[in-house]
Amino acid sequence: MARIIVVTSGKGGVGKTTSSAAIGLGLALKGNKVVLIDFDIGLRNLDLIMGCERRVVYDFVNVINGEATLNQALIKDKRVSSLSILPASQTRDKDALNKENVGKVLEELGKSYDFIVCDSPAGIEAGAMMALYYADEAIVTTNPEVSSVRDSDRILGMLASRSRRAELGLEPIKEHLLLTRYSPKRVEEGEMLSVEDVVDILSIPLLGVIPESQAVLKASNAGEPVILDTDSDAGQAYQDVIERLLGETVDFRFLVAEKKGIFSRMFGG
Amino acid sequence: MADASIEFKGSSFTLSVLYLKTASLSNIRADLEKKIAQAPDFFYLVPIVVNIEQLSASVNDPVDYQAIKTLIEEFKFTFVGFTGSLAKEQRQVIRNLGFSFVNSAKTNSSGKQANTEMHMAAKTEQATVKTQQPLYTDKIHRGQIRSGQQVYAKDQNLVVIGSVSAGAEVIADGNIHIYGSLRGRAIAGAKGHHHAQIYCQNLEAELVSINGNYWLSESMEQHWSSPVYIHLTDNELMSSKLI
Repeated sequence: MARIIVVTSGKGGVGKTTSSAAIGLGLALKGNKVVLIDFDIGLRNLDLIMGCERRVVYDFVNVINGEATLNQALIKDKRVSSLSILPASQTRDKDALNKENVGKVLEELGKSYDFIVCDSPAGIEAGAMMALYYADEAIVTTNPEVSSVRDSDRILGMLASRSRRAELGLEPIKEHLLLTRYSPKRVEEGEMLSVEDVVDILSIPLLGVIPESQAVLKASNAGEPVILDTDSDAGQAYQDVIERLLGETVDFRFLVAEKKGIFSRMFGG
Repeated sequence: MADASIEFKGSSFTLSVLYLKTASLSNIRADLEKKIAQAPDFFYLVPIVVNIEQLSASVNDPVDYQAIKTLIEEFKFTFVGFTGSLAKEQRQVIRNLGFSFVNSAKTNSSGKQANTEMHMAAKTEQATVKTQQPLYTDKIHRGQIRSGQQVYAKDQNLVVIGSVSAGAEVIADGNIHIYGSLRGRAIAGAKGHHHAQIYCQNLEAELVSINGNYWLSESMEQHWSSPVYIHLTDNELMSSKLI
């Protein structure tokens, strides 16, 4: 049975789609069969980050409405053959999805994939609820900043009360904290919440800390998920996340600001 | 020449008021027995005023004031007098029988009758400062209470095993115990118990309130980020360190 993982946050712009793309691709690179679903109907982004926007013919809503089969709508990734993308519709809105049909699509996908990664829209409305409803696990993407932490807390409340698992009284959704856009330097300067602060407030297990990085924007614009940029700290941090999702214990990196060497200090590097 | 040995002065006290809804002595007796059984010491020798405005007296069926007084005293209350917004004639009848009629500072209009039970509870408590709180059972919540969630322990104490997040709200008619951080709002004694207290291992609350008295975070600076309990003393909120 496939593991259904929702990447969610409450707040927008914290890195849900970037993280979904990196995690989906990373899991596939490890040999897993992975499907990435864009639940952000109306604001198609995942296909851009994945670099397959020109290959979208049918989308999630077409499948839900029975206008296309799953195989017609799924886009195979050109880099990793075990990865598929189910894009969102650009022309519909979030009400186009309904629980029953989404459930059927997920069940169908579950037969042939190991992981189903759902990229949730921001907010706490119907679209976000739909993305988390069938989840087994949730990656709560949070920036080290008070409003983002507050919204993540709200989403954690929803995960515990509004999901299928909660409604049926099953084992609760497994929660993971993914801290993104982390800048150790700004934490030291007291401008940003530290990992410890965020973990203390949300009290859920830490899955990964992604450092603030120029590589992320570059990767997004190029349609190459940042996990492929193995030289970048963000890419390496996402690789650690994949290891942890697959059950490995990996030490956390990039939590301390790099000390400037004497030369760069002298020459103002 | 002034009297040196005595002096008369006006002073106001909070007295317990017993609202009678029926003149049937057997019914009153049964209900009093039930009430007093819940907390026998609570009512012992408490001075009490009996409000009779809800009793309909008629010529054929007069209210037996003497019997009411005897009954009240049987239950070890200290009878003070009768009260209620009554017709002049009726007040005179009461006086003629040798009972005092107590005028309340704010006469309760009959429109407030629905609240009488709550009034009684609140007033009774105020009249007896050092009495025990009514015995409440506990509602236990395991796990963190997240932003946007609200937990209400109706007629119970609330025990939270976990933290209360910013933006979350916990309410109890009794005490609130939080084995974790309190970062949201906590409202204890919601139905008007000024003995209610709030305990937490780490106070970083947005708001705490007991019996309608509240503090915003700025008033908690003294014990911010400490394990404390919050209580009412002379209708003022106080915080004290737990350890």
